[in-house]
Amino acid sequence: MSSVPAVSSAMPARSARMSGFVRVALQRLSLVAVLLVLWWLAAQRVPAFILPGIGKTWDALRELVASGTFTEDLGITLYRVVAGFVLAALIGTPLGILLGSNRRLGHYFEPVLSVLNTVSAAIWAIFALIWFGISNGTTIFVVFMEAMPLILTNVWQGSQSVNAEYVELARSFQMSRAKVMAKIYLPTVLPYFFSGARLAFGFGWRVSLVAETIGSSNGVGYRLRQAADLVQTDQVFAWTLTLICLMVLLEYGILKPIENYLFRWKRRV
Amino acid sequence: MSALPMRIVAAAESEPVRHAVELAHVTKRFGKLAVLDDISLAAPTGSVLAIVGASGCGKSTLLNIIAGLVKADSGNVRIDGVAGKRSDDTRVISYMFQEDRLLPWRTIAANAEFGLEAESLNANVRRERALEMLHMTGLEGFENAYPHELSGGMRSRVALARSLVVKPYILLMDEPFSKLDPQMRSQMHAELLRVREQLKMTVVFVTHDVEEAIVLADRVVVLRPRPGRVRDVLTIDLARPRNPLAADVAETVRHVRALI
Repeated sequence: MSSVPAVSSAMPARSARMSGFVRVALQRLSLVAVLLVLWWLAAQRVPAFILPGIGKTWDALRELVASGTFTEDLGITLYRVVAGFVLAALIGTPLGILLGSNRRLGHYFEPVLSVLNTVSAAIWAIFALIWFGISNGTTIFVVFMEAMPLILTNVWQGSQSVNAEYVELARSFQMSRAKVMAKIYLPTVLPYFFSGARLAFGFGWRVSLVAETIGSSNGVGYRLRQAADLVQTDQVFAWTLTLICLMVLLEYGILKPIENYLFRWKRRV
Repeated sequence: MSALPMRIVAAAESEPVRHAVELAHVTKRFGKLAVLDDISLAAPTGSVLAIVGASGCGKSTLLNIIAGLVKADSGNVRIDGVAGKRSDDTRVISYMFQEDRLLPWRTIAANAEFGLEAESLNANVRRERALEMLHMTGLEGFENAYPHELSGGMRSRVALARSLVVKPYILLMDEPFSKLDPQMRSQMHAELLRVREQLKMTVVFVTHDVEEAIVLADRVVVLRPRPGRVRDVLTIDLARPRNPLAADVAETVRHVRALI
């Protein structure tokens, strides 16, 4: 009773976390610097159409931003990824819960999932091109087909891991089914959903570019192919850099903070 | 001077005893396996009733039947004089499981509140009552901690607070302190008896630990295994607080152990 470890150690833990944060930030910055130096060195002895230098890429990026379609292309790609992802979450989550809560159904449909997971994104893109032509639908479909099985599988696993003891506890307090769902099932499935959604978004983002190179007339993927066709390697680099920055921003600006907040109850390993 | 105790005894005898929990001829089978056979027992209102027996004599099933989590095949279960279906009033009975079953994603205060969430109470009222119970079980200062940050004994207290937050009239416990070390356990015993006094609860608990039964209970039901039957019902008339090392307590423990 007299020992209060959690409270007494709160302050030093916080400052230790701060200094840890600074150290990690310095490490990351130095890593970026090393990569930039390597890039610069490599670009010295290679023609620009194979590996453009930092300055050339920077100019291309400025040109891109100034060209006017930059935000439009970025926006349309982002829209397609998000649309496919949201559709995947909306359909994958209830299906996962259904398969997780019904053992026989789950057993029956299990092979379908394995098959879905082995089909290449390129095949989906070709099918989508046949079915939807050059349109938003093509990219959205490909993102959906990549993301949905991932979310479904994770939610399925999550709903199988619900602790029967917690359900019994809720029942002993005479909670309704809806409340058991909201207070026991949902918090148990949430971490699984989150890791599935995160994976799905990353995959969706990557395959969306593949889909756009063949199935659309705008968007980042289309511009990338255009640049490649015209051997504008500096523009390819500029787009790549933009995408990397966007993903890093998404990861550390949105996903990590959400994850830290949602799963603050977990023991730090 | 000597007339006074006499009068009290007379008064106690003339008043009919109210029972918070009363079972008559309860039988339960799981498939072909007979688990409980003709169980009759009663816990007077405000008393502590212990159910002891070797493992496999259906103690937990019996408790689940009283809690309404499991239905008896035949026989009669009366909770505070009401037979048959339990009323929907959740505040009547609270169940404390063998494991603490704290939800890891909730803070201590939120875990204590969980018991109140079946009702549609105002969140502030809920929080207030949870904090009051955490205070009563000696957990102030830990409201915002998470379960994994607490020791086993403290987690047990949280589970107790969660059971008590509904202000139960009857508290059922299934070997609730069996995973604690002896010192923590006797501390929890004292805590439980104190809280019971404050809330005027009837306590029915199951244990395989005879010493725990003798220290806590006014009445001990000894079960015989396979199928579970009542072997004996003993009234424990020892003065409180009971020290397990005292001669009279130890003697009673020996006596009851011989019955199992």
